Amino acid sequence: MSWSVEGSEPCQACEFQENLKILRQIPFFSETPIESLKIFAYLCTRERFRQGDYLFSQDDDDGQAFYILSGEAELLYSNGRQDLVIRRYQPGDFSGGLTLLGRAQRLFSLKAVTDMVCLMLTRDKFQKAVTQVPQAIPGMLQAIVENIWEWEKRFLEDRSSECEVCRKRTGVSMI
Amino acid sequence: MKQPTIPVVKRSLFSWIIEGNLKLQILLIVLIAITVSARVLPLEMQKRIINEAIGLRKMDLLIRYCLIYLGAVLLSSALKFTITIIQTWISERVLASMRNALYAHIIMLPLVFFRKAQPGMVVSALVTELATVGNYAGQAIATPVINILTLVTFAGYLLHLNPLLAVISFSIYPIIVFLIPILQKRANQANKKRVDATRKMSSKIGEVITGIHEIQGNGTFKIENERFAKLVHKMYKIRLAWNSYKQGIKVGNNFFVNLGPFIIFLLGGYLAMNGRLELGAMVAFLSAQEKLYDPWKELIDFYQTYMDAAVSYKRTMEYFDIPIEFQLEDKSRPVYDLSGAIEVKDLTFVSESGIQLLDGISLSLNPGESLALIGYSGSGKSTLALCIGQLYAYTDGHIYMDGHEVLELTKNDVVNQLGFVSQAPFIFAGTIEENLLYAVDALTDIRPDMPIPTRDDKIAVLHQTGLFLDVLQFGFNTILSREKHADLATELIRVRQNFHREFSDALSNYVEFFDENRYLYHANVIENLFMGTPNTTDFSQEDLTQNPRFMKFLAEAELIRPLTSLGAELAKQTVDILGDLEPDAVFFEQSPILLDQWEEVRAIVDQLKRTRLNQLPQKDQNLLLNLAFRFKPGKHKLVSLPGILEKMILEGRFLFREHISREDPGAFSFYNLSEYIFSQSILNNILFGQITTTNLKAIDTINQSIIQLIIEEDFLETLVEIGMQFDVGSKGDRLSGGQKQKLAIARTLLKQPRILIMDEATSALDNKSQSRIQNLIETRWKGKSTIISVAHRLDIIKNYDKIAVMKAGKIIELGSYKELIDRKGVFYELVGGRK
Repeated sequence: MSWSVEGSEPCQACEFQENLKILRQIPFFSETPIESLKIFAYLCTRERFRQGDYLFSQDDDDGQAFYILSGEAELLYSNGRQDLVIRRYQPGDFSGGLTLLGRAQRLFSLKAVTDMVCLMLTRDKFQKAVTQVPQAIPGMLQAIVENIWEWEKRFLEDRSSECEVCRKRTGVSMI
Repeated sequence: MKQPTIPVVKRSLFSWIIEGNLKLQILLIVLIAITVSARVLPLEMQKRIINEAIGLRKMDLLIRYCLIYLGAVLLSSALKFTITIIQTWISERVLASMRNALYAHIIMLPLVFFRKAQPGMVVSALVTELATVGNYAGQAIATPVINILTLVTFAGYLLHLNPLLAVISFSIYPIIVFLIPILQKRANQANKKRVDATRKMSSKIGEVITGIHEIQGNGTFKIENERFAKLVHKMYKIRLAWNSYKQGIKVGNNFFVNLGPFIIFLLGGYLAMNGRLELGAMVAFLSAQEKLYDPWKELIDFYQTYMDAAVSYKRTMEYFDIPIEFQLEDKSRPVYDLSGAIEVKDLTFVSESGIQLLDGISLSLNPGESLALIGYSGSGKSTLALCIGQLYAYTDGHIYMDGHEVLELTKNDVVNQLGFVSQAPFIFAGTIEENLLYAVDALTDIRPDMPIPTRDDKIAVLHQTGLFLDVLQFGFNTILSREKHADLATELIRVRQNFHREFSDALSNYVEFFDENRYLYHANVIENLFMGTPNTTDFSQEDLTQNPRFMKFLAEAELIRPLTSLGAELAKQTVDILGDLEPDAVFFEQSPILLDQWEEVRAIVDQLKRTRLNQLPQKDQNLLLNLAFRFKPGKHKLVSLPGILEKMILEGRFLFREHISREDPGAFSFYNLSEYIFSQSILNNILFGQITTTNLKAIDTINQSIIQLIIEEDFLETLVEIGMQFDVGSKGDRLSGGQKQKLAIARTLLKQPRILIMDEATSALDNKSQSRIQNLIETRWKGKSTIISVAHRLDIIKNYDKIAVMKAGKIIELGSYKELIDRKGVFYELVGGRK
């Protein structure tokens, strides 16, 4: 693809192998047996985004997960009046594991603040594959459980004393 | 077509055989009468040849009788052939009209029927069971008549030869006539069971195919295999019994019939020895006796066919014997032109299983008023919409449209002015345009004066429903044909030049431009070699390894070996990754292997573990070479294109041009900025390259730039028209869920109905598209058509005239948005809860 347009040495030789290496580092995939992981690595594609492009937009249901290879992005939340910057995403960050598992509208937008290259997997491909390699599921569920647990634990520690409404809304992890 | 007075499911089997086929049946009987006479003649000749010609040594008689014999045989064979053809003709005619009539009946059956009926069952009834009946229909008259006549004639002839011998040899038949019905009764019982078991099996298979993702997802292969095996075993036992009885009948019949000659030899021999029977007569007797066997056997077979057909017919018609709730039309009056006034009074709907889904609903709508139905799922809002749309027959209460009870309206009355968009719209195989016209086409019979929608009408609804860009995209992806679109192609060249002037730099990140000096990573090896479109059929064949000229060139360019080896590497890698997975089209998007080649490729890879590449059979080497031909390094990332091979292919590109200009100039149009490429899509022609990204937003940017140019050149509409010819695939599979829903709304809007019912019609759409449709309803339809909308979101119903909040089959609040908010009841809470 556009690697060669850049003028850099084409890296197609190693793209599948590289994808495989990357997936192994992502917690969502790290527990997946290598034979199954190969399939996901094979189904990934690489996309480039220009500064100012949206990787996804709030309220859309695009069903894509991204791993940032290069460049940076901002996670934005719009409350109808203004865009609030939630956090910054950097190379090595992964977003959208949950979106692979089921339909949901985006709560945030992700906007490229520099030119970016991402590894991308779509829900459609992921689900077609995962139904055939059910042995990959437990590892993914474990990663999600840990993620939610971690989030709620931190939430309880950080916020619950300040805000009563927030405290009432805890219990997402159901643990 | 003539309207049948008796419903198809009540017709007798025999009525099909006579109705519409009477002339053919009479012709058959005439032909049969001639055939039967032609059959006796050889017997008489046989007797005369032996007694007169041979006995008296008269050569001229021998020749004359032999010629008559030959003539009779030829005549009866020719007649038999004609009879068979006419029988087949009748069979197929009956089968076709039975299928059409039953199909027409089935699709008018109430929706409730289809909730329970498995598609497999309906398919097996229409395809398999009716075929047995059709087969019988052709034989119904001809077979019994021809065989009984033959039997009677032969019997008469035998009686004439020797009454005593004849009577004794006939004495076997009463035994058979007594025995066979007893066996047949058992065979019929088994056959009834077989029809039921076949249905169960079809329905199980239908279920499994529909739910295959669940089976594979849950790995329930064992459970499913066991369930199916049970059905198969049951079927096996039933068929075994059924066939055993049928064979029993045949064998028993054979046995008795074969006893015939035994009696003739014994008794006839005795009579001949005593000079009371001529030898010639005995030979004739033996042949006649033998010839009795065929018609008799055919009669027995016919009897079985009749019994099977009667069982299949009865079982099939019983299954579909459900009254049709609404007639298509009432011929005694013109179709009503409903104004849109709707009144619902104490409406109740109780499902077949006795659950009350609607309970005492009352409301009224003036023409042009809008009503939103809201409530939790199971509250009955969809059921109410379906009842108003005449898709469900309500059990109590009334729905009036212009004062007419909806239950008493015909389908045509309702269809005339009512548009219904369902929750899960169905798109049929065909083009976008055909689907767009689907609802309007039904109106052509009802409203003969209705104008056919123009191109502008169609484009307008595509715009309104937000489908315009999608259809334009399909247009962009179309490959034009040189014959049909030469003019358009010339105009597109102008767009290409403008595009390159204005946008090529800005979009270079997302597009790989055609450049004869560079390798195209998003084109396959063949496209890279050719960089052109063949003008003759020589190089356009699918499997280029079968083209000796091309293979000779490939050998000269020294590309065969490296490419075959690349193909082998692609095959090995794909097999390593996908392994034993159930093949699915999605897995092959990123590999040059085609889905239907998968098994073959796996076998080759397996073989390559033991043998070297050049020892593979030529066929397999060719397959690998073809894989390499389709390889696009920008897309198929599991193998890289070695730098040296890339250079060789580039070199090959120039060698190929030399080769063509030397041997066959004019055979190719090489890519050239000032020429249209007929092997590439419109989009690629405008770009003079191809898009390298799958990023929707980037693609959108490219589209916007091109659309701007297309508008300037004034053929946006032409392109949309081309896009409307896009084939949506079976069940609209090639469209996304949102596109399907938009298309369903568009086809209803095109009809411009005075009553529009939308049953969660926008649930699969993104926010922007939902707002667009809502906006459309409020600006273009409000006030003109009566609108009933089952809403799944509360923020889009503010401007409806009335809102009905439903709970457990009842309307618990009814009023305008403001009234309901002011009331501070359930609706207020629902809205408040969301804020």
